[in-house]
Amino acid sequence: MQLTREEERILSGEQGWANQTCMKILVRLGELFGAEKLIPITSAHVSGISYKTLGDAPIEYLKAMADANAEVKVKTTLNPQSLDPEYLIRKLPIELRNKQLKILKQFDRMGMTESLTCTPYYLGKLRRGSHMAWAESSAVVYANSVLGAWTNREGGPSALAAAIIGKTPDYGIHKAENRQPNCLVHVKTDLRNETEYGALGIHLGRLLRDKIPIIQGLQKDNDRLKQLSAAIATTGMTNMFKAGSTTERKKTETVEIESNDLKRTIEELNTASNKKPDLVFIGCPHCSYAEMEKTAQLVKGKKVKQGIELWVCTSCHVKEAATDAVKQIEKSGGHVLAGVCTVVSWTEKLGIRTIMTNSAKTAYYAPTLSKADAILAPMEECLKTALQG
Amino acid sequence: MKPVTLKGRVIVEGHCQAEALVSLKPISFLGGVDPADGKIIERKHDLCGMCIKDKILCFPHGHGSTVGSYVLYSLAKKGLAPKAIVNQTADPVVVVGAIIANVPMIDQVDIKKIRTGDTVEVDACKGLAKILRRRET
Repeated sequence: MQLTREEERILSGEQGWANQTCMKILVRLGELFGAEKLIPITSAHVSGISYKTLGDAPIEYLKAMADANAEVKVKTTLNPQSLDPEYLIRKLPIELRNKQLKILKQFDRMGMTESLTCTPYYLGKLRRGSHMAWAESSAVVYANSVLGAWTNREGGPSALAAAIIGKTPDYGIHKAENRQPNCLVHVKTDLRNETEYGALGIHLGRLLRDKIPIIQGLQKDNDRLKQLSAAIATTGMTNMFKAGSTTERKKTETVEIESNDLKRTIEELNTASNKKPDLVFIGCPHCSYAEMEKTAQLVKGKKVKQGIELWVCTSCHVKEAATDAVKQIEKSGGHVLAGVCTVVSWTEKLGIRTIMTNSAKTAYYAPTLSKADAILAPMEECLKTALQG
Repeated sequence: MKPVTLKGRVIVEGHCQAEALVSLKPISFLGGVDPADGKIIERKHDLCGMCIKDKILCFPHGHGSTVGSYVLYSLAKKGLAPKAIVNQTADPVVVVGAIIANVPMIDQVDIKKIRTGDTVEVDACKGLAKILRRRET
């Protein structure tokens, strides 16, 4: 790799251990993937925040980094944590809370704004064509495909290294030639709701592995495309898709999706379609402002049933902006949780055995990560199940 | 015996000699290795129950969560890390882990040539793995 003089100096340790380690990570990864240089990034998004998914191992590393004065060079956001500061913090054991706080403290010392969301793109407009280093696969696919900002799928540690240096190795999807679609997906059925977009993603992720598809038959509905992004990244290595028109010329590889493919995928994700859910969960990925409003509309004048919990998860920024919707949801007995979601929290410790959700990603992970059965259905149906009156 | 030299690529510089622990299966450090004692705990793994501490750990490549990189760091802090890592094809999780844990690492080595119990010298400045002595059978 061709490094600038300043980059060489950082690599030799002139700016201390933390910067040297981060530079080593970027250079070695760059070499591994055939990058010729490092390029500046406009933002970083770091995953691996929840104590549930991290465990104790990373705390020492993060602390050592912060002790060695590591500091972010670009705007850096964080993925959700394992609890929210209002509701779950009171329901979960104090030692878990303390461990989580210890992790957050290290990120805070390094200058990372405590955004704690999987949808950092709602925090500010991204510039089309700008380079970023984001972890959190659902946000990576959404940024590349819907917002036109460019990022590889980083892991937690490499996104952190990019944040500290302010650069990322120039390989993969940072290069225009690697952003060209190389297969055509023809959806031959109407996609009726966000759940079917999610099911399409789960199915395509498995089929396409790391290919970049042009997908015909998608609506221009960003909240639905968000479900597709999250799901396609759950089962595959695809980092972007392109919404295409029906006039698209044929690619060498064409995949046809029939209504049966979606039906089968939804059936497979539904591990408990006849059970009563303990938890109805909206907000994977975190709710947009529009989804908060829609949820509030649907719960208006109704009450959450006894024995069921309703969680609506979003970032603290969207929660603050959507005050009326939050009030409405809470009035109905639902909980608006900021900075957390079921996948990275301890629902199993709260006695939750069945989760109903409109998110295919959550349904996919529920049996393994949450030790729960899943019921997958559109938002309207989820809320109908949760509410009476 | 005459040492057998296997050529590879430098990932993390360093130099050491130790007993080899060889697996033909990928290793996930998160969930696959116990951070408390350095033992492989992934069920059905061919090294399940073996301790990676102070070994020349040879395996094809890593897999699983990127949190695995931090696990390697944590093992090193407790003195439970391998002396060196020899991979067939390096992957980002293990590369980042070896860098932050400062464990010498090379890849592009034909690990099938090395057997568990062999005495191996790793020159991770030149990217070489030398089999000095075969395991006594």
